Amino acid sequence: MLIERGALHQELPALAGTSTPDLCELLAGLGFPVDGVETVDGTTVLDVDITANRGDAQSHRGIARDLAAKLGAALAALPVQAPAPGEPLLPVRLEAGEAGPFYATAVLELGRGQGTPAAVKAFLGALGSSAKDMPAVDASNELLHRYGHPTHAFDADRIQGFLAVRWARDGETLVTLDGVERKLTPRDLLIADGAGPVALAGVMGGDATKVTGATRRVLLESAWFDPRTVRAMAHRHGLHTDASHRFGRGADPAMAVPARDLLALRLRDWAGATLQSAWSVGALPTPKAPVALPWAMVDRVAGHPVDPGRAADLLRALGCALEPVPGGARVTPPTWRHDLACPEDLAEEVLRLLGYDGIPSVLPPLESSPEPLAPGYLKRRKLASRLANLGFFQTVTLGFGDPQEDVLGDGPARRTLANPLGEDYSLMRGTLLRDLDKVARLNLEKGARDVRFFEIAPVFEARPGQPLKETWTLGLVWGGEMGGEDPLTPPRKLSGPEGRSHLQGVLQALGVPRAETEAFGRWEFTEGGGTVLGWHFELPIDAIPDAGERVIPRFAPFSRFPTVERDLSLLVGLDQPYGALTAAMEAALAATPLQDLRCVDVFRHKSLPPGRQAWLMRLRFQAMDRTLTGEEVETWVLSALNAAQGLGVQLRG
Amino acid sequence: METSLLPPEIEEAHRIFPEALAACADLDALLRLKGAYVGREGSHAARLMELLKAAPKDQKRELGAAANALKTRWEEGLKARQAELEEARKATAALANAWDPALPPPLPAQGALHPLNRLMDRLVDVFRPLGYHVEEGPEAETEEHNFDGLNIPEDHPARGSADTFYFRDADGLLLRTHTSPVQVRVLKRIAEKGPDGLSALERSGGIRFLAPGRVYRKDEIDPTHSPMFHQVEGMLIGKGIGMHHLKGTLAYAMKALFGPGAEVRFRPSYFPFVEPGAEMDVRCPLCGGSGCRVCKGSGWVELLGSGLIHPNVLAYAGIDPAVWSGFAFGMGVERTAMMVSQTPDLRLFFENDQRFLKTMGGLD
Repeated sequence: MLIERGALHQELPALAGTSTPDLCELLAGLGFPVDGVETVDGTTVLDVDITANRGDAQSHRGIARDLAAKLGAALAALPVQAPAPGEPLLPVRLEAGEAGPFYATAVLELGRGQGTPAAVKAFLGALGSSAKDMPAVDASNELLHRYGHPTHAFDADRIQGFLAVRWARDGETLVTLDGVERKLTPRDLLIADGAGPVALAGVMGGDATKVTGATRRVLLESAWFDPRTVRAMAHRHGLHTDASHRFGRGADPAMAVPARDLLALRLRDWAGATLQSAWSVGALPTPKAPVALPWAMVDRVAGHPVDPGRAADLLRALGCALEPVPGGARVTPPTWRHDLACPEDLAEEVLRLLGYDGIPSVLPPLESSPEPLAPGYLKRRKLASRLANLGFFQTVTLGFGDPQEDVLGDGPARRTLANPLGEDYSLMRGTLLRDLDKVARLNLEKGARDVRFFEIAPVFEARPGQPLKETWTLGLVWGGEMGGEDPLTPPRKLSGPEGRSHLQGVLQALGVPRAETEAFGRWEFTEGGGTVLGWHFELPIDAIPDAGERVIPRFAPFSRFPTVERDLSLLVGLDQPYGALTAAMEAALAATPLQDLRCVDVFRHKSLPPGRQAWLMRLRFQAMDRTLTGEEVETWVLSALNAAQGLGVQLRG
Repeated sequence: METSLLPPEIEEAHRIFPEALAACADLDALLRLKGAYVGREGSHAARLMELLKAAPKDQKRELGAAANALKTRWEEGLKARQAELEEARKATAALANAWDPALPPPLPAQGALHPLNRLMDRLVDVFRPLGYHVEEGPEAETEEHNFDGLNIPEDHPARGSADTFYFRDADGLLLRTHTSPVQVRVLKRIAEKGPDGLSALERSGGIRFLAPGRVYRKDEIDPTHSPMFHQVEGMLIGKGIGMHHLKGTLAYAMKALFGPGAEVRFRPSYFPFVEPGAEMDVRCPLCGGSGCRVCKGSGWVELLGSGLIHPNVLAYAGIDPAVWSGFAFGMGVERTAMMVSQTPDLRLFFENDQRFLKTMGGLD
């Protein structure tokens, strides 16, 4: 909100000697940080950030009130002279109960006016709100900025019969001051006359009854409307006006009549207007119940003893009425403070005026044992660290997808956003791979030679008849070319098997059994314009055992006796599955101290029999309790060979 | 040679011997020369032996001496040259095996954690010694957890579709707008009474945790906004907790995060789920407070929102605010990462350009 320094001084004369930087510090300390200061033609305007709970501070007087309490200074008196109440010149009906319980109005005949004073035009201009040079409009606007209470002026001769504060009826419409025709619903609070709606209550007036240069008589409105109703209407119609901001955050009901009177006075002074009658209908909303504030609560919140007398003085300075009770006070907040509803609110007010700087800085005592880190969090963190160590870059992608690209086929209606940023951002992802593929492709396009990326994030699944499911998932993509950039490493494609070996290394180190790393997940080519770019893989994090917080692992005994290795060169069919061969050999050696069995070389050459290749299988034995003898090892190797031969494998000569 | 008994071809061979010897570039060539001069068969030495056998008796002595002398010279020459060539071969081999350590070595693959994840993990590490653990919740949340339980009533502006993504056909399910729903879930969990009639909160005497994670707001993507971003929130519940504890905790944490010289200040502010509320500024980590572009000359940068937990939030979860109190704070991860790293555009964090990730990442 923009605040003009001169106008602020008028409300709080004690500010006159305060420099602008000091004023900014003061305001920040009260919870109104200043986002910017601008001085044009000797007028200094502060852009003050007002929090959503402080509807009362959305005016010069509102800000001045907090500053006055902080400085212990007095506010200027409100320059209002109440006119004698008059007879109602037209009926005002309150038909919406608590949504619009009070309506103050007046009818004035405009004279041959001088127009809006230059100082007021300058004031409005400094606040970015240009004057219309129509006193009724400009005065209403000026009062709003100065005192915070919205008012409205109708062309009295265009009001037909009566005014009613009522709910809209289905099918009713209103052309508002901005020229837009609004379709109204029964949740809209209206000001209406005999012919229909003339204003959206507390939000914007109607075009048909607005004040123009031809207006001779004005009807003033200064009412109080329910904040929730106004907020909802403003939101529904997308009409975020100065009036709706103030009513929506809670206007001061006690200002309704003075605001009308101030407006009437300005019209008299600026436009030679004569008051025909001023009257009010309804009752102001019931004041909130007093809040019981134990002084001990202020001490607890502050973390140090606060003198109750001082606390009471500060609350009074803010306009609260205090009634002492044992150990505390019953505090009645002022009519303009709708945000003071519980003792903590009042404690905050005391601390705010004392200044947060005065609160000591103390670490809370640790009264309970800290809980260990969640296994799922630890696991993801360790997994990420391992993958980064292997050369993978962690990515963070937004997760919004285009339904056109959806390939999961899980009936994605409930993964779809009802109000997305755009159609291509409307589906929450069911896989990480699409985003990872895009990242990989983008990097290759930008000239990266090799790409290795991973992401750990939730993906969404919405099976028919089941609730939306989120699954923490690991996705990887790798491809491109490596090596060739030093004398020892030849260039090579970053192949599927190489990435897969990385992945299996990581997963096995984290305790995933080898068989599972072979089995789950998806292995596919990523294609872009028909070119194979690389490989990608995805698996749910749940498939990986929890890492645990154990730093020192359990001791695993190892053998101190020699290892014996034997190589078997086997002639196998070109179509021989490796897994079947090793399974057969391992089964035959189940009772032996076999440590490892693997193919260490593959030889294919025309010198071998047709349809055959040679696999050099290395068997490694080691006993925990003794040195193995050559004879027993030979027996085992023979039985492994027999098992292999059962699959049609031959010993290579 | 001084004798005339030698045939001209031997004379010629001897004359060119030094030249032939020098022409041998390697041991193979030398072996061939050796065969030609002193080999058992067909060599010049063998020819001399044949001549000696066939010579008249009176010439034998002189011819024998001459032949021996020649053979000795040839053998010595060959031996010396062989030594030279072997020396040269060793030197070449040594050179071939040598490796200039300045040659580019093969580099191990370099990956990196994402800077946002690094910062979140770092915050967890900072708060661990203070007894905080990690709590998490879903990104698709209910209105109850995202709003109701946090003292954000139904007509609050934040609940509108202008600010929040709602799922279609999913009974009010939405993408959480902050990580605070985790607080509601945890508070409800620890407030539940067990078989012994006590809640987990009553048994433990308090709880303190961090909630790091992804959140969503309906913002268009631009250099300072994104529809998805990250937060780390923290919460502590205990007895007699006040603003002094919040200040003490965050001052400690900022020193751990920015260094022992880090200074913080607190300003009143408003968040529906805390009372009193406070913004925390940290002395600009870039200029040290002298004023720069990042702190807009003020020397301070706004880092997080915080406050004492609103009694309505505790009561909603079933925790008696007359007995228990606590504080909460929440930090925008992207904002902090951008500020500290001076990254000019938020979108860089989500484009995942390897060059950016390499510069900003690390392994920790």
